[in-house]
Parts: sequence; C-alpha cells; structure tokens
Amino acid sequence: MKLKINGHSVEVTSDPDTPLLWVIRDELGMTGTKFGCGLAQCGACSVMLDGKVARSCVTPLSSVGAAEVTTIEAVEADPVGQRVVEKWIAHQVPQCGYCQSGQVVAATALLKENPKPSRDDIAAAMVNLCRCGTYNRISDAMLDLAGLGTAKDGETL
Amino acid sequence: MKDNDPVLMEDVAEGAPRNLSRRQFLVTSAGVASGALVIGMGIPLTPARAAGTDQMAPGTNVPAFLEIRPDNRVRLLSPFNEGGQGIFTGMAQIVGEELDADPESFIVENAPAGHDYLVVFGKMRITGGSLSTRSSYDTMRRLGALGRQMLLEAAAAQLNVAVDSLTTEPGQVVHTVSGQKIAYGDLAKAALDLPVPDPKSVKLKDPKDFRWIKQPFKRLDVPDKATGKAIYAMDCKVEGMLHAAVQHAPRLGLKPGDIRNLADVQAMKGVHSVHKLDGAVAVVAERFWVAKLGADALQVDWQEPTEAEKAKIRYMPADFSTEAFARHLTEAKGDGTEAESHGNIKTAFDGPGKVISATYHSQYVHHAQLEPASTLARFNADGTLDIWLPNQAPEQFQAQIAKVAGLKPEQVNVNSPLLGGFFGRHFLYPGANPYPQAVALAKAVGRPVKVIWTREQEFLRDPLRPMAAVRFRGALDASGMPVAIEAISATEGPSEALRGHNPKKVDSNAVEGLTGKAYAIPNRRIAQIYVKNPTSLAYWRSVGHSMNDFLYEGFLDEMADAGGKDPYDLRMTLLKGNARLTNLLKAVGDLSGGWKRGPFTAPDGTRRARGVAMASPFGSEAAAIAEVSIDPAGKVVVHDVWEAIDPGSIVNPALVKLQAMSAATLGVSQVLMEEVIYKTGEPEARNYDLYPILPPDRAPRIHVRIVESGAQMGGVGEPPLPAVPAAIGNAVSHLTGKRVRSMPLDKLTLAT
Amino acid sequence: MKKVLTTFIAAIIVVAGALAWYVTRKPASPFDTVAAASAPSADLIAEGKYVARTADCVACHSVPGGQPFAGGLKMGTPLGDIYTTNITPDPKDGIGAYTLADFDRAIRQGVAKDGHRLYPAMPYPSYSKMSDADIRALYAYFMHDVKPQAVANTPSAIPSPMNMRWPIALWNAAFAPSRPYSNVKAHDAEWNRGAYLVQGPGHCGSCHTPRGAAFNEKGMTQNSKLYLSGALLDGWYAPSLRSDPNTGLGRWTEADIYAFLKNGRNGHGVVFGSMLEAYNNSTQFLSDADLHAIAHYLKSLPGDPARDGAPFAYSDATMAQLTPAQRMSVPGAQIFAAKCSFCHKLDGKGQDPWIPPLAGATSSLVPDAASQINVVLNGSGRVMANGMPDSYRMPPYRAQLSDKEVAEVLTFVRKAWGNHGGPVDAKGVAALRARTDPASPQVIVLQMR
Repeated sequence: MKLKINGHSVEVTSDPDTPLLWVIRDELGMTGTKFGCGLAQCGACSVMLDGKVARSCVTPLSSVGAAEVTTIEAVEADPVGQRVVEKWIAHQVPQCGYCQSGQVVAATALLKENPKPSRDDIAAAMVNLCRCGTYNRISDAMLDLAGLGTAKDGETL
Repeated sequence: MKDNDPVLMEDVAEGAPRNLSRRQFLVTSAGVASGALVIGMGIPLTPARAAGTDQMAPGTNVPAFLEIRPDNRVRLLSPFNEGGQGIFTGMAQIVGEELDADPESFIVENAPAGHDYLVVFGKMRITGGSLSTRSSYDTMRRLGALGRQMLLEAAAAQLNVAVDSLTTEPGQVVHTVSGQKIAYGDLAKAALDLPVPDPKSVKLKDPKDFRWIKQPFKRLDVPDKATGKAIYAMDCKVEGMLHAAVQHAPRLGLKPGDIRNLADVQAMKGVHSVHKLDGAVAVVAERFWVAKLGADALQVDWQEPTEAEKAKIRYMPADFSTEAFARHLTEAKGDGTEAESHGNIKTAFDGPGKVISATYHSQYVHHAQLEPASTLARFNADGTLDIWLPNQAPEQFQAQIAKVAGLKPEQVNVNSPLLGGFFGRHFLYPGANPYPQAVALAKAVGRPVKVIWTREQEFLRDPLRPMAAVRFRGALDASGMPVAIEAISATEGPSEALRGHNPKKVDSNAVEGLTGKAYAIPNRRIAQIYVKNPTSLAYWRSVGHSMNDFLYEGFLDEMADAGGKDPYDLRMTLLKGNARLTNLLKAVGDLSGGWKRGPFTAPDGTRRARGVAMASPFGSEAAAIAEVSIDPAGKVVVHDVWEAIDPGSIVNPALVKLQAMSAATLGVSQVLMEEVIYKTGEPEARNYDLYPILPPDRAPRIHVRIVESGAQMGGVGEPPLPAVPAAIGNAVSHLTGKRVRSMPLDKLTLAT
Repeated sequence: MKKVLTTFIAAIIVVAGALAWYVTRKPASPFDTVAAASAPSADLIAEGKYVARTADCVACHSVPGGQPFAGGLKMGTPLGDIYTTNITPDPKDGIGAYTLADFDRAIRQGVAKDGHRLYPAMPYPSYSKMSDADIRALYAYFMHDVKPQAVANTPSAIPSPMNMRWPIALWNAAFAPSRPYSNVKAHDAEWNRGAYLVQGPGHCGSCHTPRGAAFNEKGMTQNSKLYLSGALLDGWYAPSLRSDPNTGLGRWTEADIYAFLKNGRNGHGVVFGSMLEAYNNSTQFLSDADLHAIAHYLKSLPGDPARDGAPFAYSDATMAQLTPAQRMSVPGAQIFAAKCSFCHKLDGKGQDPWIPPLAGATSSLVPDAASQINVVLNGSGRVMANGMPDSYRMPPYRAQLSDKEVAEVLTFVRKAWGNHGGPVDAKGVAALRARTDPASPQVIVLQMR
C-alpha cells in the first residue's frame, strides 16, 4: 500500500487494519508520534490527515487512502506549525513532553483551519490529555497564537 | 520482598537517610559508553575516566559527569532523570553556575548506573521524594567548582602562569593581566586528564554573585519536546530488535497454564514466538501491532497458585472488591500503633468540651503517566546486557536486572531515557516493571527484544496508592477552639508493602500528612492500624500526603465549623507564633485577593465558595485556596486554585512554578475523578475510558506564589499537591452544606 | 439470545388454573420408541457439533472461565435471578441420564427429564422447529463429544410460589409451536434452508421479534408482518431483520448480510451488544452456504414503510455544526467531536469496515435508542473473528459522560447527517446506567470443549 507522509510517498506492508500509529512508529521508524492509550482517549498519537487532526491509534491504515499524513516530524516544515512550536517554547509548555507531539499537532491543525480562533474554538479543539498539568500554558500559548493576548501578569512562566 | 529490595521513600523522606548501610550500591565501570550506541551522541570519555572509583566520594569525579566539547558545549550526565520536573535544566544551572558555563550551552542526559552518581545525601540515588535538588545542591555546585578549578589549572599550565592569576568568564578562562582568553572547549582535554582536586579546596560562590541560579531559566528539554525529537524508553530501538506484547494474568498471583490456541497464534503472519512468563504470556513478533493482537488472542488457562505459593506472594483473591475493602478498613478494630503523640488525649476527650468524630476515606489511584511501561533488552556477545527502561533509580534496577539475568551488576548497562511522566511509577515494584519479561524474552529468542505494555496491561499491573479509612475524633473547648485531635488510619503503607510489615512499627508513609501537622492543638494522637492489601502498592506523587492532608484538613474544617470558627482564621490562630506558616497562609490569602469563604454569587451568576488547606510535605510548606461551584449536572467545577509554596530557598523560580502548577493539577484530577475500582479481583478500568484523568475543560486556572523563607531547602515536585484536594474538598463542603469525606467528588451528586 | 425472561412469569401466573394432568404430563417425542445409537459415527457427532453452533448453545450454557456447557450464567428476571443449567453428559449434575427422547423433549418442548417445565429463557419455542435429524445429531454430540462436568446447578432465586413451573405448560400450549419446520413449497431450497436456520436453531426471533403481553414472540414465521421486525430486550434494541431501509436490512444486500454474519462487520455496521455474542459464538462458524441461505431468506421479508418512515438520505448540513467555531453552541456537538469523531469521523461515516458509521446506522434510526445508550455507557466487547481479536473496540463512556451528556450527544447523533432516530432523554440513560455494567476489554472466548 502507498502512503503519502510528510511530503514523501512510501510503500508500506502492514495489514490494512493496522493502526496508522504503528505503521508510523514501527514500519517507518518515526517515534515522535506517541502511544498513550490505543483507544482515542488521550490524543498523544495525533497526526494530520490532509491538514485535519486525526488520532492515529484509531486510524486503520486502509482508511488513510490518498490523504496526506503529516506527523510531528514535519510540523516545522509548515509555517503555521513553525509558529506553534515557537510559542510552545516561548510559553515553556511541555513538562514530561510525552503528550506534546499530539498537542502541537492539534494546535497546528486548528490554526490551519482557523488562523484566528476564539477562546471557544480553542477549547473545542484542544482536547488532548496531559498528565503533567500543562493545560494553563497550552491555553496561554494558544491565546498568544490566536492574537488574543497573553495571560495576565504573573500567570505565565 | 528481598528480591526487589528497593530504597524506600520512608528512608529518605525527610532529612538524612536512615538504615542505608545494609543496602548495596554497586559500582560499575561500564555504562557510560553503552548508552551512546543508540540514544547517546558519541561519547569520547575513556573507560578509565568514566569508571567510578570507590576512592572518590560520589559527585566529585568530574570526568564521570562532564564532557566539554571543542565547540564549548558542555555535556552533563545528570544523576537525576528528567520526567518533566525540569531537573536537567536545574542541574545545568547549578553546575553551570560554579563551572562558569552558560547553562544554555549544556546538553544533559541521565547518567548510567555507578557509584559516582550516588549523590542523594552522598549515599544513594533516586529521582523521587522531591529530593533531587535539595539533597545534592551543594554536591553539584562543588562538582561545577571542581571542574572550573581543573580548567584553570590546565590553562595555567598552557599559559605557563600561576593559577591565581587566572579567572573565568562564562565558557572561558581569562588571564587578568594579559587579557588572554582560552575557551573551555580548547582546555577540556587537558583539564579532564588532571587529577580532581580535593573537594574541600574549592570555594563556592557567594549567592549574591549568582548569575544563573535563582533565574527563571528556560528549560533545555523544551525544544525537543515541542518537536517530537525527545526520546523515551518506548522510542528506543536497536538493530535486529523484535517486539513483544504481553497478556498479564487477570489477577496477581495466577500462573499461565495451557494456551489453548498456541498453534494458531504461533502461525500468525509476523509472529516469531509465544512464551510463558511469570504471571504473563508474551508474543514476540517483527512488529508490535502483530505481537499485540497475538497477545490479546492467547487463550490461557490461568492457574491458581498453591497455598504455599500464596503465602510468599501478593495474591489477589477472586472475590476482592474495593467496596467491600473500604468497609473492612472502616471496621478495623483497636487504637492502632502510635505514630505521633502530644499532650494527653484521654483527659482532653474526657473534658467538658464538645467532641466530634468522623471517618474519612482515601481511594486507590493510578499513576496513569501517559507513557506506558516498556523495556528494551539486548544481550551482547561479550556477555553484557544493555537495557533501556524508564526508571527512577538506575543502580537499584541494575542490581535486580543482574539477578534476573544471571549476570554481575557491572555487566548490566542501564540506560534511562526521558520519562513520559512518572509520579512514583518507575521505582522497583514487584511485578510492576517489564524488565524481567524483556530479559527473559531477549534471552529466549537470542535477539534484542522490546516489550511494550499496552495501556490495558499497564493498568492491570500499575501498583496503587493505598486505600485508607481514617477515624477522626476532635475535642473543642468552651470557646470552640480545638484542644485535641486523634486520627487512626486503617491502611497499609507503601513502604511496608514493599519491605514487609513490622508489627512494632508504623509506616511513616502511611501516616504522613496526619503526622507532622504544624497546628498547635495541644493534645493529639496519630496511629495506624495495619490492614494488608491484596493489590500491589506504590508511591504516588506526594505519597501519604497525597491522601492524608485531604483527610486531616477536611476534619479540621469540621472542627472549625463545630466551634463556630472561620477555617482560615482558625488556621491562623493555631499557627500563632509560627512566622513561616502564618506568612505563607497570609501569602495565599493575598494571592487570592483576600480570604473570603462565601458562598457568593460570581459575575457569571454561579454560586461559589472557597476552601483553604495547608500541608507540610517533603521539607516544604504549602497553602492553597480553591474556588468551586457545582454545575447543573451536580459535578464540581474548580475555577481557580491559588497556592503559596515555601521550599525554603530555590534554584529556578520558573521550574518551581511549573511543578506547583503540575502538582496542583494532579491534585485536582485525583480529588475530582480518580479511583481504581476492583470487582471480583480485577480492576474495572484498563484504560482512560473508565479511569478518566483531568481533561483540559475541567482544569482550573492555577496561580502560584513562591515564598522563600530561607529555611532549609525542601522539595518542590510533590509538596504543592496535598493542600489542593483538601482546599477543594473544603470549598465543596461549605458550598453544599454536605461534608465531603471521601474522594473522588464525581461519585457524589451535589447541589448548592 | 440471553435473558429472555423479563416480565413473563408474572403474566402467566394469571392464566393458571387448567387441568393438572395437562400441565404435568410428559409430552410425546418421536424418539419415545427409538434408541439412540450407542456408538454414533464421527460424522454424526461432527454434524451435531455444527448444530450446536447454529443453535448457539454455548452462549448461555457456559460462563467465561468456566467449563464448557456446565451452565451457571445468571439471567435476571423481575422475579429473581435464574441460572442456566449444566448440559454436559454428567449423570448427576448434567444430562447424562437423558435418553434421546428426554433430550428431545427438553430441546423442542421445554420439558426436563423429571417433567418440570423449563423457563422459556430456553428458546424451545424456536427449537421446536428443529428437525429430527438435527436433534439426533445434537444428542450424539452432547453425549459423546462434550466432557461431563460435575458442576452442580445453581438454584433459581425466584421465591415461592412464583417458582411454580406448571403454568408454563399452559403458556406453551398458547405460544410454542410444537411441530418441526416444514418446507414452503413456493420457495427454493436455499430459501427454505435459510428459513429453517432463522426460525429454528438460530432462534433469531428471540431477540428480533417483538413480544406480546404474555412475553410471547408476536409471530414465529414470515407469515406475520411483525416477525423479526425489531424488539427491545435486556437493554439492547435488536433491529428489524426485514427489508426496512431505516430500521432493518433494506439498504443491505445479501452479500452485506453474509459479510456481517461471517466477518462480524460490513460497511453498514459492526456487531455489538447481544449480537456480538451471537457472532463470536455462532454465526461465524456457519458454512458459507448456510450464511448465504440466511441472507437470502431475510432479504425475502418485506419492510413496512408505515413503520419505517422515509428512507435515510445522507445530508452534509451537519458538517457546519462541527467546526470548532460552531460546536460549542450546538448541544452534544462538542462531545461528539471530542469523544466520538476520532473513530466515527466528523462526517459520521466511520472507517469502513473496521469502525462503523453512525450516519444511516440502524441504531441511529430506530426509535428506541437503548442500543446506542447502552453502547455509549458500556462500550462493546471484543469481536473475535476467526480466532483473532478486532483491532478497534468501542470504549465505555459511563465514567466520563453524565446522563445528560450521553443524552445530548446521542440526540445530536440521531439527528445528524440525515439520521432521524429521535431524541434521547437523560432519564432513559440513567435507567440503563443503573442496571448495566461495562463490557470487558478482554477477549472472551467460550469454549465448546
């Protein structure tokens, strides 16, 4: 099966029901996309399919079809993704970092769809779990990216 | 539990460690180089340099820690692992400060196992107990200073000048008179060949001259984590590696019998082999997904252990339920073994004042770190074993892995990649770490094997924070002031669960947070009734405090209400004369805009109230205020948490704040929604579906104030947690008029 | 088919009072004068084993982790719990002492060896249509291939006098046919084979046919318009198997039906709820010819436009409600996006064939939302196809969503993309929540030996 991923076209041999996550991690050797739950509960495995966020642990290889897969490894190649990464660093968002590939991908997908999301849009789209409690800083970084200002003095790091 | 002989939190929780002499810490001459093969970056240290030697005190063998490259980048091998707490950055700041090298030029990795790295109070090594910075601050500063001294000496030799005519600027040695400068990178080779000076010979900086310490220095690991480049154990790979997935026995203690469909699974495309392991079966395959499906498919006839075997292990009976166990704890008889006593409790309760009593409960909780456990093992032709696994204590794992593999400890190269969260998950817990499986499988198949536990298998073996039922009694005098408090906790502490119960002793980790409270209640008695759990038990972020401060501070509010006192004012009164804690309580009150308990109507029309609580965990002090409302479905909404934290003194305010926000959020998650429920001997939840953790739409805004009282440096990673659930519980109790005495609050249907 | 008995006993008590000899007599069996072969051929045993698959005996007479066919499955009834019995050939605890005639009476007439009437949780009204040949083969299988298990039966918890069995005989007279299936001449052999399997051993009507006041199935053959027209049973709504485009198989081809029964999935859906058990333990083991016959027969049952309403037509108007900007303001839309859409996709079309669509799904169109409520609260068990577990499972959401939230998200789903199943209220969710448990995430295989 052919897979379009991060601007390349590759041939993959996994069974059609294999989750895209494991095709990316095992067969293609890219480990930035994380395994957290395998059940679409946490979002650590988020990738983009034609620019829209998808959870790769519940995306059978056979349903990717001709869609262009973008993983965290290629996020900085996208100008929107690059801005997200910059703000993620500026706001010192990650802690253990394990969920952050997915968070950055989800943020990038939202901003590609809507460069000026409202607070509600952000809350609606940023639903991935984080166990370290980086939610406040994710929110700060998103408000900053959306041009809605930064958090009040003393609330960011 | 001899086989796992872990260093227990109990030994090291406060101040100097006890009872460490019997523990064996192993010296390794291997290690440093091995990590580089896959995840390192090529390490030019010679074995001689990397070797730990018994002669040198831990934390002094500079070449074992530092490499300075020609481009002036400094590679630091950290004795503490990075799992989100920012310790790599903190270590770079501390060492960089005294080395006089910009922490931004540091590359930090976790050090291999070895004597040199036993820098926790100079004797042992764990990343836990909120110990890293406070236990090694002076040692690591001195390490930097020793490194600087060696660079100065190398420069003196090169320039042929006296050492005392030289000084440093960040990253370079300067000859003051001539203005000549030599970059550290150009001196490193010669410098690191010099003998390490006597540690006493170097002088540490005056804190007023600090350039980097105390600055909100940005974290070194953030860029890689924002771009998916950070490598966790799950991500490690070596050539020729096979993947393995396991199916654990549904209950602890069961053994695999016949596998009914063995041949079918063996015949699956991509399956290499099927194996029976201790309490598990495994499928080894070329790719993980195939292994996972195969492991799920295995139809195993699980066998009960014999009675003799049961006596030796932690065995989970088929009829165990948490509901029944909570009742069992509540019904535990007796006054327990005393943990703390002051004044005369009997006279106080026999006095004329009012007496109130209540029983509180804590629940089992999961670590639920987002990265499930995994281990990669590779046997080498020279008989050594390379192993990659998430861990909080490399030397302890090395010793156990050696036993499992039948090797000498120095033949085991422990690699400790970044941790995808830990919260106490990655200590040595019997049956809860995948390394025995990885070692057995790698040995059996003759190729490197990486075992990954799916979330379901992880939750089936994650050791839990204990359940407890705590019986409180409180006595008030005529003016409504508390004069006596008694707390008897029926529980098993995590340390006695790991080491074995000593009937004469209380497990301090079982009662901390009931003990050690600073309030001036003249008569008090804290005790524990030991009740064995069939589950595996573990340390969970802030350990006993994570539950006990919720319980104690809740009952303290009940005493305040019974005596007609405001809970904030009561605490202030009970802390009279304690400048550190009254300052802290005032600080959190100020941070919240001035204490107001409510209930009040917020601008959005919701009815809200605030609660306050305090805790004294891990050498630090914390006070929190939380504001809550109840949504139309009867669930608690936490709007804001204000927290003041006093760790005595700090290294990086940004890291302290980050950890406070993190710990507070975990506290919110635990009190609102977390509980492991067992029915018929099995945990009901095997994933985040039935064990939800705090999602973003329920996360409050967290406001942190750091107070540096100047007291002895305390911990940071755990201390901000315990006061938060308690403050939330107290706010909810006040808002609803219904006393909350257990967690999680989502189990209750509440109304204002 | 499990736990059929719900309101049945209370209803039949009322009709008590007929002649005692009738209600306690042992009915006749064609095998009364025929001895079973003492050493049946391997072929006959194999045939019997296949019949046991078609009748799905194991689903009710085994429990996970228990011995095959040793019984013990709890079935809740309003009067108390009853437990399925040991049907291994153990002489004391099982049916080892049963003659072929005794066996026949139990299977086809619901009468035990000692003459007591079985509760019609045992689907003997359907099994009564089984052929003599199948009964003979089934007997050979149970007596000679199933291992005897000395596992005592658990007494039912129905208190006296409600535990009297004799009124059941009267119920049988009214509602249980007592004649084996005979071919309908107007139809070909394939159709007749399908009809036999569906009406007889397959006992599809036990779940899929609505029941009357006495808990009787309203129709046992294609002659009734209500036969297999959909029914609520034990917290699951078993949809119509007739050619109703919305609530039945109207949009399915015979090939779709075949694939569903063979693989547990097709582009229209994936087995869940009680059908998961029927698939895991029964339909996947049927021969291709039999599955095609079933499909052929089912496709011959006409739909009822008056009941089924206007056929589903996909509408993409919903997509406008699912943008991040909109979904916070449409009740249920944000929950759908955050919890459901990653698998079922924002367009509701699922990921064919691994993850089922919600757009146009029968469960989104039937007026009774029990199945959707149930699967959202409790998730679904593992589909085991050909010995291999599925790669994707529906997780339970009972710990994450309140009754109100479940109602909101399902109300949203049931009117999205052209669905018109009607709204869900929180009370219905609360009621199901109270009496159901989450599905196991582990693979459960009930062994036949």
